[in-house]
Amino acid sequence: MVGKNCFAIASDRRLGVQLQTVATDFQRVFKIHGKLYIGLSGLATDAQTLYQRLAFKHKLYQLREERDMKPETFASLVSALLYEKRFGPYFCQPIIAGLGEKDQPFICTMDCIGAKELAKDFVVSGTASESLYGACESMYKPDMEPEELFETISQALLSSVDRDCLSGWGGYVLIVTPTEVQERVLKGRMD
Amino acid sequence: SAQNGLRSLRPPRSRRPRRNLIKEGRKRDTGHRTAPLRLLLQATNSGDSTTSPPSSPPSPTTAMSRRGDWVYENNGGTCVAIAGADYCVVAADTRLSVGYNILTREHSKICELADKCVIASSGFQGDIKALQKNLAARELLYQHQHNKRMSCPAMAQLLSNTLYYKRFFPYYAFNVLGGLDSEGKGCVYSYDAVGSYERTGYSAQGSGSTLIMPVLDNQLKSPSPLLVPARDAVTPLSESEAVDLVKDVFASATERDIYTVCFPLSVPRDHRLLLFIHLPLY
Repeated sequence: MVGKNCFAIASDRRLGVQLQTVATDFQRVFKIHGKLYIGLSGLATDAQTLYQRLAFKHKLYQLREERDMKPETFASLVSALLYEKRFGPYFCQPIIAGLGEKDQPFICTMDCIGAKELAKDFVVSGTASESLYGACESMYKPDMEPEELFETISQALLSSVDRDCLSGWGGYVLIVTPTEVQERVLKGRMD
Repeated sequence: SAQNGLRSLRPPRSRRPRRNLIKEGRKRDTGHRTAPLRLLLQATNSGDSTTSPPSSPPSPTTAMSRRGDWVYENNGGTCVAIAGADYCVVAADTRLSVGYNILTREHSKICELADKCVIASSGFQGDIKALQKNLAARELLYQHQHNKRMSCPAMAQLLSNTLYYKRFFPYYAFNVLGGLDSEGKGCVYSYDAVGSYERTGYSAQGSGSTLIMPVLDNQLKSPSPLLVPARDAVTPLSESEAVDLVKDVFASATERDIYTVCFPLSVPRDHRLLLFIHLPLY
């Protein structure tokens, strides 16, 4: 979700295999560099592999270009990487969030074969995506300060995952501003 | 000559140039002749059709799968109800659609069954019309037999039984019953397609329900039905606040659901304690 010169990215913490919960502290949001994060929902193994490949590509980019990748560029990179596997895809829906030039927030999401969808307000993905659309649409307003943005995204996340049996077991929220990054773990319904 | 005479009896040929359809590559529509075969093929496939978005109807009975016919259709729509201390708000959008087409923008999904009981249904409108007609007739019979109108809890039970009566060829209707109980408190009953129901403080059914329910959960924190002693599920919000909340959730659902639309107009008051909100699209 986009705020005023900041963004927030959040995920739930459950890892499950259909009805069986396997882990309650699974990390879905990964750091690419200080101002760029990617969240990967879907198949856990593909999420981890995709993150490893992207981190590798970004490190090479850093060595060659001697700077961090811009979020727009990174989004194109992810899109291309996913489309390479067009006929045997990674079963992941990434969410990319970063601060671009002049610390303007940038967010986008993709489907599992790399169709980019840019948004100005919020993006969602995962099994609870319909609920998230409804909750975020109702609760979002433009130009929120980091504290208010944290409240909003937490409430939207917790209400939505409470209506989805495959998501839950708390939440993990990252608020990124030009000067600092705040990580918070939410306690929600643990079921 | 005889030939000329015959020619004069024939109808005049059209003056427009005849077009060779095969050369232009236009396919002729043989719709009705191949319809049964098409339906059979569709039934044997997963049920996904290229002409309409995938919907998830209840599974067909053995009789229906034998015929290979698909008798349901999803006309879309969303219904919401919120119960308050002395009021009940029941709202539904007004779009009727089939696949990606809109049939009408002004179709009400709400039916007033008794003076304190209102039903809103989304799903297959053919079944919904039949169901609402059935319930209205039963309510009339009750009126004649008992010399009073049906109460909301009584109608709730009747609806559940009516739906379960057709357990093996269900009404494709997702209902929300709203009204006032005998104490004058708001009550909302929420149903699935075969009659399982529960009295709750608020409910949303239909295509936009997954978008709306989390927001209602968040705003109308309802106590768990498992608490002992049982706590009231009705919301402490005032009537105007509840109406505003309903309008907001419909606006959000409209943004993201193609089957739900609303354009909030002024609210017509039909009854001091009951409020209908029809939200037509323009």
